Amino acid sequence: MNPTPDTGGAPDALRWEAGDTSRIPFAVYTDEQRHRRELERFFYRGHWCYVGLEAEIPNPGDYRRSVVGERSVIMVRAEGGAIHVVENVCAHRGMRFCRERHGNKKEFVCPYHQWSYALNGDLQGVPLRRGVRQDGQVKGGMPADFDPKQHHLTQLKVAVRGGVVFASFDPEVESLEDYMGPTILGYFDRLFNGRKLNILGYNRQRIPGNWKLMQENIKDPYHPGLLHTWFVTFGLWRADNKSELRMDAHHRHAAMISTRGSAGQATGSASQVTQVSSFKSSMQLEDPRFLDIVPEPWWGGPTAVMTTLFPSVIFQQQVNSVSTRHIQPDGHGAFDFVWTHFGFEDDTPEMTQRRLRQANLFGPGGFVSADDGEVIEFSQQGFESKPGHRALAELGGREVGETDHMVTETLIRGMYAYWRQVMEAPL
Amino acid sequence: MTTPRWTDVAAEADLFEGAGIPVAPEGHDIALFAIDGEVFATDNLCTHGHAKLCDGFLEGHEIECPFHQGRFDVRSGAPTCAPATEAVKTWPVKVEGGRVYLDLG
Repeated sequence: MNPTPDTGGAPDALRWEAGDTSRIPFAVYTDEQRHRRELERFFYRGHWCYVGLEAEIPNPGDYRRSVVGERSVIMVRAEGGAIHVVENVCAHRGMRFCRERHGNKKEFVCPYHQWSYALNGDLQGVPLRRGVRQDGQVKGGMPADFDPKQHHLTQLKVAVRGGVVFASFDPEVESLEDYMGPTILGYFDRLFNGRKLNILGYNRQRIPGNWKLMQENIKDPYHPGLLHTWFVTFGLWRADNKSELRMDAHHRHAAMISTRGSAGQATGSASQVTQVSSFKSSMQLEDPRFLDIVPEPWWGGPTAVMTTLFPSVIFQQQVNSVSTRHIQPDGHGAFDFVWTHFGFEDDTPEMTQRRLRQANLFGPGGFVSADDGEVIEFSQQGFESKPGHRALAELGGREVGETDHMVTETLIRGMYAYWRQVMEAPL
Repeated sequence: MTTPRWTDVAAEADLFEGAGIPVAPEGHDIALFAIDGEVFATDNLCTHGHAKLCDGFLEGHEIECPFHQGRFDVRSGAPTCAPATEAVKTWPVKVEGGRVYLDLG
């Protein structure tokens, strides 16, 4: 028994049964007060959060509403082309004024009292600031010392790399590059290597489970070959694929890298991955173009790299399907999961079609990803029913380290080692 | 050139320094401004938000919109301060015998 200091006044101190993070208390998923502290410590301080893609706002005035933690923000391109991220909270009465998901504007105006803001969040105008003239006298209005410069929208720190936009409420946050660390940055740059992105479309889903379960899902290479029978049947994932698990120095971010084995491997341009009689030969795809996989030069070998950037986003390359998956918490027991499917400026029309077809694997109705939404919901149900219990994450040992195989939960243990470090620190 | 159509819209004595007054000849919504003894006329509706310039505040020859503090030069109608970006229409003015006349064209 390791008596863990659990600062911050959560009602039940966490009990890490094994001392390390190989046994995870259910209570990390079930407590609202602890959730508020996670938001404060992971989403609002010291971390970069994913906001969107530059390609979503190509023109001056284009904006897109997004989320950092549970705070609504607006990603916007100003006249000069610079990207700003401002909080969707009016400086006057705190109203979440922007209701549209996206659009193009010259300025932001809160409908309540028409306070108006420039695209960078600066306050432009306050109705009746100088009062109203009645019977030759000016009455009311803001005090003479009211200074619009002090009442801008909250302007987040912004970092853009490879067409991906990140923001932080913390002006002291380290650089995005230091935040990712060299290993994860390498996998990030492999996917976002400077080519312009084309937005192909979105999926959105509400998953009734704790947000960390989505991070864990993509730090868990044990489940795809077992839960996702589709993967196995059609040869996209096998436990014996050549693979690696890599992490940043804090063990908060990770990359799961795998290369399809020869059993289903396409060789040459004409081959198809559906030659996988070793799995379940009786199952055939009605439309074999669905797995018309064409290796791309930028892969540099791996056929799938799933990158978890803690706490807010997952970057997916699963053969020709590439997407970002944005984790948007809503209380301890639910999150919205927003998928942005994209392609690259040099894609042929055939490649665009291929990416779109393969995107059917993913999203709330995807042949593979529908499974994840369900198991996360059912896990949360288990946690809520007995929050004093704990989960196991002992596969592959109890320590944390990089591996060259998939039969391990080391990335989950690593994430909780970091989680404990941050959550248990005194303020 | 059409002949000017001078229309009596107000008494000069109704005007005062520092702000405008609204007039509505033939259904037009127009603001009159008196500055150092001279009179200027612009459309009353701000080109930015839905505010009346006659409710604004004059700073020299600039009228500041009461809603969002955009500004226009009342001599030319040109926008001089964001968020105003679009000029406001001006009207020709003459003052004769204590009456203000606008050319409604």
